[in-house]
Amino acid sequence: MKKIIFNLVLCFLAAQALSQSCDGIITGHVVDADTKQRLTGASVSIPSLGLTQITDDKGDFKFMNVCDASFTLLVTHIDCDDYSTMVNFRNKLHLDITMPHARKTLGDVYVEGQKKIVNTGFAKQLSAKELNEAKGLNISQALSKLNGVTILQTGSTIAKPILHGLHSTRVITINNGVKQEGQQWGNEHAPEIDPFIAGKLSVIKGVDELKYGSDAIGGVILVEPKKLRTTPGASGEINALYSTNNKQQILSGSFEQQVKSLPGFTYRLQSTIKRSADVRTPSYSLNNTAANEVNFSVTTALRKKNLESELFYSYFTSKLGIFTGSHIGNLTDLLAAIASDKPDNIFLNNSSYKIGRPRQEVLHQLVKSTTSLKIEKHKITLQVAFQNNDRSEFDIVRRADNTKPQINLVINTLSEDLIYEHPKLGNISGSVGLSFMQQNNSYRGRYFIPNYDANTAGAFWIEKWQKHKWQVQAGIRADFKNIDTRRIRSSGDTISNNFNFRTFAASGNIGRDISLNWKTNLGISLSQRAPYVNELLSDGIHHGTATYERGNINLVPEKSTNISLGLSYKNDAKTFESDLLLYNNNINDFIYEQPKPDAPVLTIAGAFPLIEYTSTDAQLTGIDHSFQWQIIPSHLTWINKTALIFARNKSINDWLINIPSQRFTNQFAWDFKDGKKLKESSISIEMSNVLRQTRVPDPKNGVTDYKDPPPGYMLLDMEASTKITMSKKPIILAASLRNLLNTSYREYLNSFRYYTDEMGRNITLKATINL
Amino acid sequence: MKFRMTILAFTLFTLAITSCKKTEIQEDNDEELITTMILKFTPSTGGASTSFTFDDPDGPGGLAPTLDSIRLAPNRIYNVELQLLNKTASPVEDITLEVKDESEAHRFYFLPSANVTVSNLDRDTNGVSLGINSTWTTTTTGTGSIIVILRHYANNPPNKLEADNASDPKSGTDIQVIFPVKIS
Repeated sequence: MKKIIFNLVLCFLAAQALSQSCDGIITGHVVDADTKQRLTGASVSIPSLGLTQITDDKGDFKFMNVCDASFTLLVTHIDCDDYSTMVNFRNKLHLDITMPHARKTLGDVYVEGQKKIVNTGFAKQLSAKELNEAKGLNISQALSKLNGVTILQTGSTIAKPILHGLHSTRVITINNGVKQEGQQWGNEHAPEIDPFIAGKLSVIKGVDELKYGSDAIGGVILVEPKKLRTTPGASGEINALYSTNNKQQILSGSFEQQVKSLPGFTYRLQSTIKRSADVRTPSYSLNNTAANEVNFSVTTALRKKNLESELFYSYFTSKLGIFTGSHIGNLTDLLAAIASDKPDNIFLNNSSYKIGRPRQEVLHQLVKSTTSLKIEKHKITLQVAFQNNDRSEFDIVRRADNTKPQINLVINTLSEDLIYEHPKLGNISGSVGLSFMQQNNSYRGRYFIPNYDANTAGAFWIEKWQKHKWQVQAGIRADFKNIDTRRIRSSGDTISNNFNFRTFAASGNIGRDISLNWKTNLGISLSQRAPYVNELLSDGIHHGTATYERGNINLVPEKSTNISLGLSYKNDAKTFESDLLLYNNNINDFIYEQPKPDAPVLTIAGAFPLIEYTSTDAQLTGIDHSFQWQIIPSHLTWINKTALIFARNKSINDWLINIPSQRFTNQFAWDFKDGKKLKESSISIEMSNVLRQTRVPDPKNGVTDYKDPPPGYMLLDMEASTKITMSKKPIILAASLRNLLNTSYREYLNSFRYYTDEMGRNITLKATINL
Repeated sequence: MKFRMTILAFTLFTLAITSCKKTEIQEDNDEELITTMILKFTPSTGGASTSFTFDDPDGPGGLAPTLDSIRLAPNRIYNVELQLLNKTASPVEDITLEVKDESEAHRFYFLPSANVTVSNLDRDTNGVSLGINSTWTTTTTGTGSIIVILRHYANNPPNKLEADNASDPKSGTDIQVIFPVKIS
């Protein structure tokens, strides 16, 4: 503050002293760094001269009759952090301002309510910088840049996010406002979302979870596309990427337009094509680990004064090769594979884009329509969505000429959501909603989960109050779920089951700004998750783990009580920020797989250990901490992240399996001064330290894992990026180096740690061209 | 315009819903399943043949499989023929034919701990041991067991070699059955 006043005084004096010519012109425009859109309604001011302009619908601003002087130019916009720059003005100046709002933010726990977003008490969001760095990664890997998010992997092609130790059906993924419905119960089923669709990737917990379901025990992942254009004209973006390790090629493009002759109508076309070849570890490459993906989406929107309507369609297909050497026939094979430090050479050292067996082929389609109607200060939103998910798994088969999948699962989901937001009553805003879902699942081939029809109906109510330094938010939700299952055994016997579950959730959150520097937040969430069909009725050999998995129809909903306490600090100069989150999640009737050592299942391939879905009381406790320190302001930044988690199986006084080990990340970033040609150049180096997981289930309670967790490891990554302008179009060029030292390591949360090392050094070159 | 959009949206949904009219519920169909292994013993000197079986007609899980004890006479030579079935398919599927068709990617191993030796395995198209047909020679009376293993080479080409043992990393286990053996 002092500095600003000093500057003002200085500028004032300077202006006085040098008040010669006063007919200068300053022009320019303001662009959102995130969406690359021109920002309308940004305030551009020169406080020392008492001048203020608002950008027009093209994001342009213009000051006339400005005196030559040195002054601070301040730009503010409701969606962005304030931006200021020192200007030494002589006669004429053109300024293109990119609002760097999310560039420096930590993408971490923040207490809401600072800006117009009045959301939950707790959220983590990938910053624009992180989102850029994540280009070329899948959606789960991108999310794992958030502190507290890790990934559960099956080899190098399949990954799904873990939030504070929980994953799969305990995490809800919302893709463009729609709850993603695929076969997310499976550890080897990755989310079917094109990461290039996301303009914003975030994780939320607390009150706003209730909008999406009562079952988000682990949290909610929000994938939101960039906002559509509001001003007439057209724009587009092309991303081209190449990675050296697996020869990955990605081409992604989007085009959007607001046609002037059709006021209020806007559309976007978007598509991504991706293919990659076999993955290389530092000492060998893994056959049949190639992958490809073809995605596209179409969004159209119509905005009238009181009405907003959006129609969205997306198509996602992926074909994922699974390492041939991971094919396991029985427990003997598994133990033999574990005993050898590397797979047989016959499964190694190809480098091709070919995908054979085993593999997965997944198609996911989504069509949705959202319509919001404002009547005075009331707002009603209706959303109807249909999803089709078609997953085929191709096993290794006896006959080479067999082209059929051995298991095919098709799930169709129709969902309807109606939300009413009431007008603000004093400092209170709130909404009530109803949601319905009808789902049909069918399978062909090998049995894993039954055919079923499921229907759910739910209702929620959320209220938020905000005054001065306090924010209080609370909400409740109830859901009814009915599942009718049917399986016809090959003997002709029909097994039918009917389940009815009632789940209830409530959440409250209190936030307080202790001072300008300190903020704190306390949240309590109760949520319940009904058992999923696989937990109730799976019955068969799980080849990846060489176990016989059996469901349990007597399971009841899990009941979670999650308490989180957040504390954040920011110094006056905003050069140091720190965030601390403590959480404790107590889950009663937590469903997990308990080994039954006394009851192996004898088959023609030998005896398989039996694992049965059982419930226990679990407790997950953790700490996420991060800080960001601008050691040399606007040049050198140090970002540190720590995530610790402890997960107990209280009933048998043991640890839970597959919980992330403790991890620490340190990143040092250097931002260069803008040059004549190179702008916004930066380079960073990141060191991640992952400790060995020592908190694993005791084999005395039944063997769940045949290999000890791998040793801890340290990885170095680098990132460099710059912006050039060619024929007035900005082009961002970037390079990412993953596993710089080509370290051989295995990760506890990758089920293929039984067989192979992780990916070795990988350099990704990226170009983003704005049209 | 907004009316048209709404109509368009609902038409699309109706289409989507009607186009995926309820699929007919299918039976479990694990085409890779082997439920039954039959070993047919024919004395080399002629005479009636005897069969011993591992049988799990409903596949893994469900009812427990049944397993015969192999009973042989001492100091005899038997010609043994293996047969594999999938009884969950209707009609019952003879898996032996598939193994024969892909003989260069399959191999049976016989690991006896009784007074019996297994030799003279038939060959695949590359002249490497296959084992659908074999010769079993018994010596003195006694009891023990024999492990019958079918290994499948997942890779293409399989690179199956005569020297490969039953735990070779190039192949995975399709069958592993321990038969009790009594020579009396």
